[in-house]
Amino acid sequence: MDLQTLIHKLSEYWASKGCLIEQPYDVEMGAGTMHPATFLRVLGPEPWSCGYVQPSRRPTDGRYGANPFRLGKYFQYQVVIKPSPDDIQDIYVQSLAAIGIVPSEHDLRFEEDNWESPTLGAWGVGWQILLDGMEITQFTYFQQAGGIDLAPVTAEITYGLERLAMFLGNKKSVFEIEWAPGILYGEVRHQDEYEASKYNFEEADTSLHQMLFERFEAEAGRCLDAGLVLPAFEFTLKCSHTFNVLDARGAVSATDRVGVIKRVRELACRCAEGYVVSREKLGFPLLRTPAPAPEESRG
Amino acid sequence: MAELLIEILAEEIPAGVLPSAREELLKKVREALEDARLDGTLEVHSTSRRLILVGDGIAEQQPDLTSEVVGPSAAAAYAADGTTTRAAEGFARSQGVSVDDLRVVTLPKGPYVVAMRTVPGRPAVEVIAEFLPPIVAKMTFPRMMRWGDGKPLWIRPVHAIVALLDGLVIPFSLFGVETSRMTYGHRTLAPARIIVAGVEDYFTKLRAAFVEPDAGARRRTLAGQADRLAGEVGGEPARDEVLLDTLSHLVEWPLLVRGSFDPSYLELPEEILVTSMREHQKVLPVRAGEALVPHFLAVADQAGDPKGYVVRGNEWVLNARFADARFFWEDDGKLRLEERMPRLGTLNFQEKLGDYLRKTGRIQELAERLAGRLGFGEKVSLVVQAARLTKTDLVTDMAREFPDLQGVVGGLYAKRDGEPEEVWQAVYDQYMPAGAEDDIPRGDVGGLVALADRLDTLTGLFGLGLVPTGSKDPYALRRAALGVVRILLEKKWHLDLPIACSDALGLHAALPRPREEVVPEVRDFLLERLRFVLERRGFRPDTVAAVLTTECRDIADASDRVEAVEAARAAEDFVPVSVAFKRVQNILVQAGEIGSELDPALVTEDAERALAGDYFQAKGMLDELIGERNYRVALSIMASLGPALDRFFTEVMVLTDDPAVRANRVALLRAMRDQFFRVARFSEIQP
Repeated sequence: MDLQTLIHKLSEYWASKGCLIEQPYDVEMGAGTMHPATFLRVLGPEPWSCGYVQPSRRPTDGRYGANPFRLGKYFQYQVVIKPSPDDIQDIYVQSLAAIGIVPSEHDLRFEEDNWESPTLGAWGVGWQILLDGMEITQFTYFQQAGGIDLAPVTAEITYGLERLAMFLGNKKSVFEIEWAPGILYGEVRHQDEYEASKYNFEEADTSLHQMLFERFEAEAGRCLDAGLVLPAFEFTLKCSHTFNVLDARGAVSATDRVGVIKRVRELACRCAEGYVVSREKLGFPLLRTPAPAPEESRG
Repeated sequence: MAELLIEILAEEIPAGVLPSAREELLKKVREALEDARLDGTLEVHSTSRRLILVGDGIAEQQPDLTSEVVGPSAAAAYAADGTTTRAAEGFARSQGVSVDDLRVVTLPKGPYVVAMRTVPGRPAVEVIAEFLPPIVAKMTFPRMMRWGDGKPLWIRPVHAIVALLDGLVIPFSLFGVETSRMTYGHRTLAPARIIVAGVEDYFTKLRAAFVEPDAGARRRTLAGQADRLAGEVGGEPARDEVLLDTLSHLVEWPLLVRGSFDPSYLELPEEILVTSMREHQKVLPVRAGEALVPHFLAVADQAGDPKGYVVRGNEWVLNARFADARFFWEDDGKLRLEERMPRLGTLNFQEKLGDYLRKTGRIQELAERLAGRLGFGEKVSLVVQAARLTKTDLVTDMAREFPDLQGVVGGLYAKRDGEPEEVWQAVYDQYMPAGAEDDIPRGDVGGLVALADRLDTLTGLFGLGLVPTGSKDPYALRRAALGVVRILLEKKWHLDLPIACSDALGLHAALPRPREEVVPEVRDFLLERLRFVLERRGFRPDTVAAVLTTECRDIADASDRVEAVEAARAAEDFVPVSVAFKRVQNILVQAGEIGSELDPALVTEDAERALAGDYFQAKGMLDELIGERNYRVALSIMASLGPALDRFFTEVMVLTDDPAVRANRVALLRAMRDQFFRVARFSEIQP
């Protein structure tokens, strides 16, 4: 199964389970969790079921395209469902069947792996899901976001698309994955990996990025003061990415790190609070329309 | 007598919490059964998704409980003519009995009226349905979670609860789940619903549905498969009881498979391969003799792997991990550790204590001074080199990827850089000992650098006032202090702690707290760890206290004295002298410690003269013996003064009215006390 078919099948499957299919967010971010469709929608009482692909940038993980398993940018398939359904694990296991994996022929295990993002003031409890010893999914019951305790609780499922595609295609290198018939992942993305690594590790202008961080931070604060939560959140995301570039460039010391993370967290927390307030003002509109009923799911 | 079956089916429970969860559940339910007078025996089982209790011999009904309730005194209850009073009637009414059922018993305080009160026993099913839900709901886990509407709080979401007493459902609900006789089999191999009749039926059906409820049985299966699979390739599985336990808690139906990795990875250091396998991938390494072979054993929650998927997946992951490790090994190798030093300037040790480059400078200087003080002058250049390199692995990718191997990574790289053996071993061993039982650094250079690092940390953080309190010890200062103590003890290094602490403190930039406070505090903190180590090694607490309450500047010396005192306590004449010294101490306290210099002319009585004579003879010998740290002989000589001391107390009045004589006698006792207490405060020893 090639990468684009995999993405298509996952979307088809989760749509059939009542998920709205969102699109990738057009701001750089480190993980699908930072997409407003997760980070903001997990807040408050409104139900929400959603799936989407999110390109995730991790500048420090870049390897100039020289390592067959590591990438500075990769794709996550993210699913969030609030409140977490009782049979969410079963629904997940069936999603594997939908992409051609017969679970009973493999070793499928849920191993404890709790998630925490100091930058987002968020944490959750859950597992890494191992298929034949390989981590293919992160499963998290969101407990807190932006410093706010969450009830109802959202179940978050994050598939590592490259991992899955390598597994399904039995490939020894991420660059050998078939993206579409006749064209490989490496042919599409290798130059990007090389150049992004070169830039992030060697070329990024640190004084520019330091300046950008300050300006983005100030702008986020200004937006918050003006009651514009979503623009504020975008600038918070930009702060986070700018920090990641500086980090890859070796321009962040350990103490700076703690301080800077705290500054981003403070913005994220203010965005979270502002979002809940703004939704409340709107009367939590999604509470009035029940989410589409999922199909019978227990097999 | 009834059998009990409880199964809580949840989403995967972390392997790390299962053992304590089992214990807690077993203990609390056992206590509840006892309190409820239901008797019976109880055992606990578990899988990655289940907590299971099985009981036998449980009473179907509580026995009636009869108790005597004491009422008014007989005098108040009965009139002179034997008729009952209002007091008796009121009491009978309050107990729900008739006055005719009241009896008189004689209590220590006199004759009283009692009523026999019977509380009828209730059916076990009712009692269990009452006590069980709160026990389960209140179980404690290190990290709890909420799910669904956000109301329940437990370790993981609960899906089904089987609760049967002799085959009948015990009705209750928990986290919105009603008890029933329904459970489910293995998640992927037999996910269908199972209807359970009773305990035996449950075990039979679970096993048929690929669930082995007995963790011990799963572990034995895994151990047997490990031996066989490793044997097939001429090796044996790494002995790792902890990992085997974990693996048995990760599955419901245990299978071990053998995979291989590219033999070229065996060129990587074994420490890295083993950490990758054990810690990151939770697979068992395989050895032939001492050496690793390119195979590993991985657990699966499966009945078999006919298509080889499980082997293939695990091989893929492990080879990927090793490829990453090799990338780091080679890439890190492009710079010598020496060349990495400047980068330590970008890594902060502690906000107010500066970066790791500064720390390295302090370690280097302190290690150099310690080498001088401990007589390793000839090794100074090695010590300096090791100290310079100690922290450089913090700026390598390998140590970032394998944080558990900090120090080890630096040691391996230093070896590759061609550093002398004592230098690379010192870097390798710098975090040893990690606990009370671990080895200490192998060489002298390693010991010196490890000491310098820890003394720097301790004095710096104490200087900032960041002292551990209660269970809070964020900088792991207790472990650092334990390391100092154990290195000094086992290397038998006689280091003057106040001087060494002063040295270390002096190397820090200005700290808010003054030296006069910090040095004694750090010394006392170290002595507290010494007490812990010595008591752990079986020395009696009063022996340890007797030594540690004296002036202690030197860990190794204090330990020598504890050993000598402990040995001396076996001698017959030692106990009397320790008793006598309690008396000496009391008298000195009474005398207010005042006293003159000892004047031989004022020594008048025979017993006094005898004691003074013995003491002056012993004093010279003791000075010499204590100087040589020959504490055993010194203690033996002290003990030999016991009879003279006893006679002195029998015949001589110390606190006489003549102030000069009195002061002189106090002076004699004080001189003896001060001399003897150079070894131990005998007055602390319990006879």
